[in-house]
Amino acid sequence: MPIKQLIRVAIKSLQTNKSRSLLTALGVIIGVASVILLVSVGSGLKDYITNQMQDMGSNLIMVMPGEIDLDKMGVGGGAMSGAFSSMASSKLKLEDMDEVEKIPQIEGAAAMIMASSPIRYKGESKSAQVIGTTENYINIRKTGFEKGSFFTKSEVNSGRKVAVLGYKVAEDLFGEENPIGEKVKLGEYRYQIMGVMEEKGGQGEMSPDDKVFVPITTAQRQFDNDNISLILAQVRSGDEVSSTVPLVEEVLKQRLEEKDFTVLDQKEILSTVSSILDTLTLALGGIAAISLLVGGIGIMNIMLVSVTERTHEIGLRKALGATPEVILTQFLVEAVFLSVGGGIAGIIVGSGGALLLSKFMPATVTLWSVMLAFIVSAAVGIIFGITPARRASQLSPIEALRYE
Amino acid sequence: MTKKNAILSLENICKIYQMDGISIKALNGVSLTIEEGEFVSVTGSSGSGKSTLMHIIGCLDVPTSGKVTLEHHEVSKLTERELAQIRNKKIGFVFQQFNLLARTSALENVSLPLVYNGTAESNIQGKAKEALEKVDLGDRLHHHPNQLSGGQQQRVAIARALVTDPAIILADEPTGNLDSKSGVEIIEIFKKLHEQGRTIVMVTHDQNIASQAQRIIKLRDGKIVS
Repeated sequence: MPIKQLIRVAIKSLQTNKSRSLLTALGVIIGVASVILLVSVGSGLKDYITNQMQDMGSNLIMVMPGEIDLDKMGVGGGAMSGAFSSMASSKLKLEDMDEVEKIPQIEGAAAMIMASSPIRYKGESKSAQVIGTTENYINIRKTGFEKGSFFTKSEVNSGRKVAVLGYKVAEDLFGEENPIGEKVKLGEYRYQIMGVMEEKGGQGEMSPDDKVFVPITTAQRQFDNDNISLILAQVRSGDEVSSTVPLVEEVLKQRLEEKDFTVLDQKEILSTVSSILDTLTLALGGIAAISLLVGGIGIMNIMLVSVTERTHEIGLRKALGATPEVILTQFLVEAVFLSVGGGIAGIIVGSGGALLLSKFMPATVTLWSVMLAFIVSAAVGIIFGITPARRASQLSPIEALRYE
Repeated sequence: MTKKNAILSLENICKIYQMDGISIKALNGVSLTIEEGEFVSVTGSSGSGKSTLMHIIGCLDVPTSGKVTLEHHEVSKLTERELAQIRNKKIGFVFQQFNLLARTSALENVSLPLVYNGTAESNIQGKAKEALEKVDLGDRLHHHPNQLSGGQQQRVAIARALVTDPAIILADEPTGNLDSKSGVEIIEIFKKLHEQGRTIVMVTHDQNIASQAQRIIKLRDGKIVS
């Protein structure tokens, strides 16, 4: 029996019970859509974090106070927020950064502390994250300037009240006005603005757009904190990163009595974070796949009902010369139609949903999840369709014809 | 005993059913020859074995013992698949319940056997139309069964039986679900087909209908009594 005829018969019988076919396919639609949606959230999150990390600059080594176990680190921005929250117990000092910078393989290093403070200009006020850092920060992050420039070593050393604004902060406070030379109030103190960074995009911990940068010495004074919460050090070349980590550890161990710090290289963090996120994506996809399984069972159920309902028809078709193979194929085609139709609709719903979701959070539809969903839905049709189809093909024509 | 133009011969056919451990002998040594162009009716009361005999003649079932030869093919030992192909090519069924596919046009119903034997798609419509014209339904090609009267439905079924040009037309109580007027019409069609040289086997319990045939075979308790 030509495939064209089989498809025509399948469509006809599915049309006969439109709402039933639709509801059956809905099981697969939901399954496929949720696989695609959840996988897109997982891989979107991974892309986002990877990008953010790479945005920080290349060949970086990070020194954080306190002992951090990478394996116990949470998902997402855990690395950074973990580091900053341990600031209170931090024993790293500015001089430690100077020593790290003396290591020959280190091209430059920057120290950072972080605090939150309201920032005010004329009537405008907003809450901003203030980062106290050293002049090298700008070389490591490789950020360009919209206007003005970053502060220099002499300004750090003298602890001047100067500030560099992230793009968004400047836009929010000044709008079209030129902020260079203007004074903003950061907490109780007035700072002179000497630069506005160019727009970097993104948001959260890694993006400079909504931050305010001040010399670290100034920040230490204002926020009454002698410690630093992060040292970023840039290694000369990528090959030397892993060999430099122990050198940094050695230098710091000599200065601090106990090993109360953690040295991480960027690649290590990146690979740990991405492996965590890969696992998360897989777990999310796996959970969603269960609903696909349930959808498959729905197809099997309805096909079994259909075989029983159409016993008489099967008997007639057999009497007229349909071989068991033809009957088997006919019912299998019908089941696959349900599951593949549901699969395609699910891909559309899932991708559309992911696209909508990507407006609010990182979500990327991956080609592999779409392909996988399609193949799995076709497989579901075959796997769950084969039992009802076999049952139909094995019906005795006499019994089937007699069935009312 | 096989004659030279015999189309179907049954030799000493036995059919035993197993039911709850009890064997029931539905057919007990039936021998029968049907020649080309014959119009035969098979009668008997219920339980006489006429249904079983019809199933075996129609290649819907195989006998427990004995030999069935249909146009030089020994069919008693064929597989399910081969039986399906024989049914398609050699037998044209007409059922009491018409057994047309609902929500399917007369033309498509008649096309069904052609679809199963791999007739080229371009020929199917023409052949089906021709068969429907033979039973005077040339103007009802696209009607669905629920738009046709009982007699018309049975004529569609006859067209479906004719469309593959089978060796035997096998009718099982073809008038059983019809009023007497339509029943007479259907019998007239069978008579006409017989005149055109078709071989027809009609199973019925109705003596009046049976007597319309050229030869009457009477069954009782799984045996031919006359």
